[in-house]
Amino acid sequence: MQASRARLFKEYKEVQREKVADPDIQLVCDDSNIFKWTALIKGPSETPYEGGVFQLAFAVPEQYPLQPPQVRFLTKIFHPNVHFKTGEICLDILKNAWSPAWTLQSVCRAIIALMAHPEPDSPLNCDSGNLLRAGDIRGYQSMARMYTRLAAMPKKG
Amino acid sequence: MQNHDGDVVESKTESITSIQTSEIDDWANFRDDDIMKQQSAIQAEEAVKIPFVGDKEPLLTLAAEYQSGSPILQEKIKVLSEQYAAIRRTRGDGNCFFRSFMFAYLEHILESQDRAEVDRIKVNVEQCRKTLLSLGYAEFTFEDFFALFLEQLESVLSGNEASISHEELVQRSRDQSISDCVVMFFRFITSGELKKRSEFYEPFVQGLTNGTVEQFCKSSVEPMGEESDHVHITALSDALGVPIRILYLDRSCDDKGSISVNHHDFTPAPGNPTNDNANAVKPFITLLYRPGHYDILYPK
Repeated sequence: MQASRARLFKEYKEVQREKVADPDIQLVCDDSNIFKWTALIKGPSETPYEGGVFQLAFAVPEQYPLQPPQVRFLTKIFHPNVHFKTGEICLDILKNAWSPAWTLQSVCRAIIALMAHPEPDSPLNCDSGNLLRAGDIRGYQSMARMYTRLAAMPKKG
Repeated sequence: MQNHDGDVVESKTESITSIQTSEIDDWANFRDDDIMKQQSAIQAEEAVKIPFVGDKEPLLTLAAEYQSGSPILQEKIKVLSEQYAAIRRTRGDGNCFFRSFMFAYLEHILESQDRAEVDRIKVNVEQCRKTLLSLGYAEFTFEDFFALFLEQLESVLSGNEASISHEELVQRSRDQSISDCVVMFFRFITSGELKKRSEFYEPFVQGLTNGTVEQFCKSSVEPMGEESDHVHITALSDALGVPIRILYLDRSCDDKGSISVNHHDFTPAPGNPTNDNANAVKPFITLLYRPGHYDILYPK
């Protein structure tokens, strides 16, 4: 418990330092609980998520960093490796390939990379995965872009 | 087409007895989080059966284990018992090599009080720290693990406030919060060494996984619970300048059918600060390898 708190405090300081270096990620710690974080990440360019801002919720376990943080999308997103209802993310480093060498910041970077490079062969969102697996890139992109507009962009007017 | 969740669940359920099926009646909502919880429940169940590091047992217990097993193995255990007196088992959780190394090394220092060796390994540990920094690791991601190992190293030397007894060393090795962190320290060290000399290690890594050294470290070295192979052992031995002897207990025998127990000495390659004299040092860490698992062996 003490170890995880100390580690998270170091990450907090690191995040303040890296703000300028990584403008696509805005990682914020809960005011009253260092085990709860949220992040705003920018959808990567040249993807159907471009122009969108996506919110992630982090729940950090007491065994952190020996165990991975739980991360999910709070913003609705149409992506093969994100559960459409729960926002759960299928990413190896959040499961069995986790190591303490990762940080909350680098997890955000990995999620941005996953947005740009979906893995349709291990889908959490089968509809999205099936479109890609069937080679219907256009179908996948237009669905993903529609949800980006609906859920991840500021409402017009 | 099968749902991703369903795939994982199906392969796991067969081996699980403790989870009531009623708890997972709604398959559609059975998520990766649940699977991870289930995995840690299984680990907790296994933990009761064997501690991270067991008690020292006479080699006879190993013979008893194979009483009705392969005659080749029985014969090999006899050969083994001519030179070795005891075995200390470690938990088969994928960390057994690192855990065995941790205990065998700290126990050796506790018993020998070899301060020169402690000073020597500290030089290599400092080199490893610099290696990780130069590879771009953020210091705060590994410094706690380094500090904890150095703390254990100090504590097995007598005559200071933090000194511990052999019994306490056993207790600490069984305490998850210490034991796992020291294992993680070795994983960082191993990864740093592999990446630093990636040109040298690449052919060996490719023989195992077909990927790059970088990918191998990410998937098979740094995550806890990933099993160790020759490559890990070589890199750890090189990085820390500690020779390791491994005896192989398997069913192999030579053409003539004569029985001997193969062993291999991992001798630190020159390159790291204190490795030059390491060739002359006889390995003081001896591990027993049975396919898929490492335990500690004690010579007579």
